[in-house]
Amino acid sequence: MLTLLPQAIIDGLLLGGIYLTVSIGFSLAYGVLHIIDFAVGEWIMLGAFLGLYLTAWTGWDAMLFLPAVFVVFAVVGWFTQPLIQRVTSGAKGRPVLMALVFTFGLALTFRGAAQTVFGIFTHSLPTELAAGSWYWELGPFMMTVPLVRLAGLVYALAITVGLTYLLKRTDLGLAIRAVAQHKDAAGLMGVNIQRTNAVVYSLYVGISAMTGVFIGAIISLNSGMGPDLSLFAFFVVVLAGMGYLPGVPWASFLLGLIQSFFLIFFNPSWTLLAVFTVLFLILLVSPTGLFRKGV
Amino acid sequence: MKRIFLIGVLVLGMVLPGVALAQDAFKIGVVTSLSGDLATGGNVTKRGYDLWAKDVNARGGIEIQGKKYPVRLVYGDDQSQAAQAASAAERLSVQEKVDCVLGPYASGVTLAAAPVLEKYKIPMITGSAESPLIWRQNPPFKYTFGTIPPVNFTGSGVIKSLKALPDGPKTAVIYGTNDAFSKATAEAFQATAEKEGIKVLKFNIIPVKQDMTPLMSAAKALNPDLIAFGGHDEELINLVKALVQIDFTPRFLLMHYGVTEPAFIEALKKNADGVLGGSVWNVNMDIKGQIGWPTAKAYADAAMAEYKVPSDYTQAGCSAAGLAFEAALKQLAVPPPLDEAARTKLVSILEKIDIQTFYGRVKFAEEGEFYHSNAGLTPFTVQILDGKEMVVAPVGLAQAKLLYPLKPWKQR
Amino acid sequence: MPDTVWKKCVVVAGLAVFLLSFPLLVRDAFLLRLFTEALMWIGLAITWDLIAGYIGYLNFGHGVFFGFGAYTTTILFTKANLPFALSLAIGGGVAALAALIIGWPVLRLRGAYFAIATWAFGRAIMQLALVLDVTGGPDGMRLPPFLNPHFFAYVMLALVGATYIVLWVLLERAPFGLKLKAIREDESGSLAIGLNPAKLKLQALVLSAAPAGLIGGVYAYWITFIDPSSVFGDLVTDQAVVMAVFGGLGTLIGPAIGAVFFLTFKTYFWAYLSDFQVLYLIILGVAIAACVVFLPDGIWGAVTRRQEGRRALRKGLSLNQRAAAPPAHPSAAGTSVRPSVRPRDGEEE
Repeated sequence: MLTLLPQAIIDGLLLGGIYLTVSIGFSLAYGVLHIIDFAVGEWIMLGAFLGLYLTAWTGWDAMLFLPAVFVVFAVVGWFTQPLIQRVTSGAKGRPVLMALVFTFGLALTFRGAAQTVFGIFTHSLPTELAAGSWYWELGPFMMTVPLVRLAGLVYALAITVGLTYLLKRTDLGLAIRAVAQHKDAAGLMGVNIQRTNAVVYSLYVGISAMTGVFIGAIISLNSGMGPDLSLFAFFVVVLAGMGYLPGVPWASFLLGLIQSFFLIFFNPSWTLLAVFTVLFLILLVSPTGLFRKGV
Repeated sequence: MKRIFLIGVLVLGMVLPGVALAQDAFKIGVVTSLSGDLATGGNVTKRGYDLWAKDVNARGGIEIQGKKYPVRLVYGDDQSQAAQAASAAERLSVQEKVDCVLGPYASGVTLAAAPVLEKYKIPMITGSAESPLIWRQNPPFKYTFGTIPPVNFTGSGVIKSLKALPDGPKTAVIYGTNDAFSKATAEAFQATAEKEGIKVLKFNIIPVKQDMTPLMSAAKALNPDLIAFGGHDEELINLVKALVQIDFTPRFLLMHYGVTEPAFIEALKKNADGVLGGSVWNVNMDIKGQIGWPTAKAYADAAMAEYKVPSDYTQAGCSAAGLAFEAALKQLAVPPPLDEAARTKLVSILEKIDIQTFYGRVKFAEEGEFYHSNAGLTPFTVQILDGKEMVVAPVGLAQAKLLYPLKPWKQR
Repeated sequence: MPDTVWKKCVVVAGLAVFLLSFPLLVRDAFLLRLFTEALMWIGLAITWDLIAGYIGYLNFGHGVFFGFGAYTTTILFTKANLPFALSLAIGGGVAALAALIIGWPVLRLRGAYFAIATWAFGRAIMQLALVLDVTGGPDGMRLPPFLNPHFFAYVMLALVGATYIVLWVLLERAPFGLKLKAIREDESGSLAIGLNPAKLKLQALVLSAAPAGLIGGVYAYWITFIDPSSVFGDLVTDQAVVMAVFGGLGTLIGPAIGAVFFLTFKTYFWAYLSDFQVLYLIILGVAIAACVVFLPDGIWGAVTRRQEGRRALRKGLSLNQRAAAPPAHPSAAGTSVRPSVRPRDGEEE
């Protein structure tokens, strides 16, 4: 069985890549806007369905539509953000709760609407990448790397690096960090808070929707897929420490590796039991996430 | 004070819609999952029941003593929850005063609804729930029937037909997801495989909706002839995609429930080709019905015209459940509403009923492990060939030759 | 003043007479089922609110205690052939014991981390029930049907009524409730005035778990079938949360009213308007959002102008301890709740 060790690591990392794509935008939105967005899984679902309709309409490869899906949903996010802003700042106090409940309502509404419009059946996004894989044999070890999953991982890492670069090396990033640190002070220093918030939210929604295309290609999509994805996004973000962006990749890979090791080496039916027990225990030992850097 | 009064009024207000009126139609309750986790399957059952109601009403209704009575379906959504299934069954029984009930999609909710219907002595036929649990209860549910044979009956037939091939599978890896139905399916596959002398290299139950790539990597290392899997629609699609991604093509790939569902072929396209499944009904079968639709094809056409999707055996089983009631009610010859004595008599008629429908023979087992489930059908093996579901075994029923080994994913 | 006391007595007596006579007057088994169901959810909502509303800890694993009670009762009753009453009592005890064991480590966590840890614990236990043999795994367990609607209505009434009275005495009439609220308002401050928050929180958790376990045991016998998703699933907790938030946190009557409102809406919808089932999600979503935006203290809070609800939520969702301190004056509320999130990656440079 030990000959499967490299494969288990590969599978785990690639699966972690999927969780990374799901949670990176979510972590950014939380860190800057302090919004626990219950609708993260629903944004992913809607992005996947847009990808599905575009591929069905044109017959092209799903991967070609990543930019289009990003742009469409970034625009949607841009126009949704002021709405959330109004809800969170309209009544006195409680912005976290307001956003939480508002996005929970949003999630229910999206899901209900998606069930009506898209139906309840499962679909798959066609891509040429899906059939490809690299295969090696090294002595007793056999390793297969599915190309579409590798693409997912590369995409996830690219987004992570891109966001880090944006935050640390650009003026916009400086503004975003300033807003995250102290909104009022940033405003007084001449940062356009309204615009910065809208940019962050539209980035987050765009990234999440694009992720939907990958998930539809790698796994599958249906109108009820949202809650499970939101669940894993919460899992990763809490494990990483809420709002702590650099922790997200490690938490994602840990989640992927636990699953692949249980599926391959231990009793597969205990996989999710292990996943939730690990999350529970880590929180007990380190109450603000893996790196003790969450807020 | 006012508030409490208001709440009281709201609660009491629920009595009003349940006022019974003199009937000139048979009132048939439907308890099924129209929302919640099982909504996909629940809505397939709804299509089957609706189609039957529409058909029988188009024929003028059920003839009792020279007068034709239409049927009226009354829905109770169980929301995919046991407690709500019991609640829906109770509401249909005491408020709607239904004459009989068409049953839920899944076994868990059926197990919660059945005792309530037993209490009110209301017969139920489920056109779907395939888990053997329902028929294994002690004491058994006297008022519950099912038109689909349990999966341990259907699943074993498929493995036997594969073993009978000249170059059949010698080794197998068997998986099932951890829900009642899928687990029973996987266990049926395992038991039959061992009995038939197929070596089971690995048998695992995995959590629902689990990503399966690592599992398929483990299977690839064992290189079995056959991968058999019990799960639901979404999981079947994910499993085939996982196999394609890690590029492992077993000689045989067998799945049960959902291969026959149109969404499976639609989602996987050419990669669906060659996948095997177990079934009891198929659009292309040569079956003549004495009641309702004359042939399987006529039924499929009617369903296509109504819903714009091809029919699968769950939907057909549900329509056949309606036909079984239709035949039994006709034989009972009591005009609606049925009283308790009439309903009890309906059960004994159902126990004796033996009809030919577009779905095949409906004859409920009177005893044993399959008590009150349909023993009139012959399970067979289907294979997706060129995007169509074809019967490939046993010999008497086969419409096409079983194609094997599976064509490697990369050559498609 | 005596006039209001007298009025209150009349209301309470009237309610008691209504509750006690309802099962006798109503012949319709479906209405009795709704009555029982409403009582059950009142019990779950007020026991959840004990932790959420009074101490400000959002427990997303409340369903675990319900499930422990349901499974323990069922296993003892059907496999060990113990009498139902004894099985039920042990079921409640097991739920309380579970609270005692996990409460100690978990109650050290704050805000969202507590919420997620309890939720993860709930998920882990549900997975455990799915893989064990003694629970029947995904097949679930059946209990011998004893479908006497009056029996279950009265058992549930006795159980939830007793829970309500005990909690009312402890929370509204004894110092215990004030101590818990002190923790909610300022946990370190409560330590400074000589309270033992760790012990008090643990006591409260056990107090909320035991009735939930007992309710779970009665549920199992009433519905006659349990499986991991129906008793350990998110639904049990989620529904209790919605009811409590809707009715008004930090009170006992609020969640009870919320439970009745929610169930009335839900039942009307599913039983009589099920053709519009897709709208259910949308209506529910909008209703919840609107409720928190327009009635942040729930229905009861809006009626009485008590602000317990927003105080509880401020603590439960605050992400560091200081943020939970009560604002000095109303206009400061806006800034005090927002977690002070700093981009750590920036600091590392």
